[in-house]
Amino acid sequence: MRNLSSLKKEFLRKWIKGLRKYNSQKKNMNLLERKKAIKLSADLAMASTKDKTTLWRKALFANTSTKIDDEQDMSTTSSTPQKKVIRKNSTNSYPLRKRITGRRKILRRNHTKERVEASFIAMRLVKKRTRKLKSLLPGGKFMDDSCLVDETLDYIESLKAQVEVMRCLVTSSELFINQP
Amino acid sequence: MEQQPTGTIHALDSVQFNEEIQGIMIPAPAPENASSFTALLELPPTQAVELLHLPDCDGTDSGRLSCCHVSVNQKPYLQNSSNGNLTFPTNAALIERAAKFSVFAGENTSPGEVRLFPAVSGLNLESVKNEPQETDSNPCSTQECVSDPAVENKNQRNVKRKEREKKAKPSSKKSKSVADETSGDGEKLPYVHVRVRRGQATDSHSLAERARREKINARMKLLQELVPGCDKISGTALVLDEIINHVQTLQRQVEGSSLMDSNLPSMVTPLMWPEIPLNINRPHYQQQWQLDAFHQPLWGREEDNHHFMTPENSLLSYDSPANSASLHSNQLKMEL
Repeated sequence: MRNLSSLKKEFLRKWIKGLRKYNSQKKNMNLLERKKAIKLSADLAMASTKDKTTLWRKALFANTSTKIDDEQDMSTTSSTPQKKVIRKNSTNSYPLRKRITGRRKILRRNHTKERVEASFIAMRLVKKRTRKLKSLLPGGKFMDDSCLVDETLDYIESLKAQVEVMRCLVTSSELFINQP
Repeated sequence: MEQQPTGTIHALDSVQFNEEIQGIMIPAPAPENASSFTALLELPPTQAVELLHLPDCDGTDSGRLSCCHVSVNQKPYLQNSSNGNLTFPTNAALIERAAKFSVFAGENTSPGEVRLFPAVSGLNLESVKNEPQETDSNPCSTQECVSDPAVENKNQRNVKRKEREKKAKPSSKKSKSVADETSGDGEKLPYVHVRVRRGQATDSHSLAERARREKINARMKLLQELVPGCDKISGTALVLDEIINHVQTLQRQVEGSSLMDSNLPSMVTPLMWPEIPLNINRPHYQQQWQLDAFHQPLWGREEDNHHFMTPENSLLSYDSPANSASLHSNQLKMEL
């Protein structure tokens, strides 16, 4: 469908930019922190590839910004590059969140009567799955059905690219280590 | 006299039909002027219509249908014109029009239909012959002008009949459309092109729902193609299961690779490998790297090669004791 290799290139370029910013602090971080830093930069790089209009990307930016705000133990030099990236990319994520949380109140309904017909059972199964999928996808709780399917398409594609890039990085660096 | 025509109608013979019409004509005051044809039409127009509506209800025999339509057509023409005074030009014009109608009605030019006109015109042969010059201009005009009300009526009747025939077929479709929807591009035009199949509800709510459902199903098909192993599964719930599984796997892989990236110099990595299903590709990468001696990037990118080695170098030079690293990784594994 889309050009996977160009996606990977873009992702790698941005990820390396982010990783470089963490270079200075590598001695101070333990494994967990490093992993978090790497994942963070990877997520941000992933979210800023292609067009930035999809919902999950915006949600990702919003989540990472809150994460950075929470983790104040990070030194300022590390947080600012990420924050800059987030501010650059997240334009209207905040109004999105505000707008959609009101919708959830309307949807709440009492379970008055459970029907036993096959169609209703099938519908319930599908609803369960869509709820699960929504919980998986970043920003998924705010999407309706058609939006959800689009977003998962996009998300799966970008996840695939991300995984491939990271794995290649791992293997190459491993080989680099193992070389005498 | 009424029973006679009804008897002959059931015979399905258009010749008898003509005889019946002649039978109707004879007892009528047969004026010798040219308007006898019109008198014929005038006298029992209602009767003729009644008679002809009987076979009209069946609507199966095309020959009869065309005959019926001829006579039924004549009725509105009569109504259009002044009440009783039909003049010559209309006479022959009517015949011309009826002849033209036979061309329209077209599938079977039944012999009865053809015979009808000569039978009728046979009576008024003198009158028709008297008027060939005058009617020469008329046929041209009648044949060419489309805005004639009788022609329009005929056309309308024709169209209605064809529509009726169409609806009789099971695969008829009635489309409500204003503009087309280009669904694949993600553009949103104000109107939606929807096809309503026979037997389905046509109110706006169900239409909108159906359009929405079709959109969602189309996108689900795309998803099915993307996720491996979803092609053969039928049913939304199972497909969604697979999709969820896939997304979870990918997310776990991202977590695992980020961990590995952070922990390169340690001995943890061999523990994490079994988690990843793409293990098979590894030796391929290794060979490629050894052959190219680090100077040719995996994806054909030259410039990034040097770049991404340097942060890795700096990360790799971070010396952590292997024990603590393995401990951390075990904790992480439990977390995951």
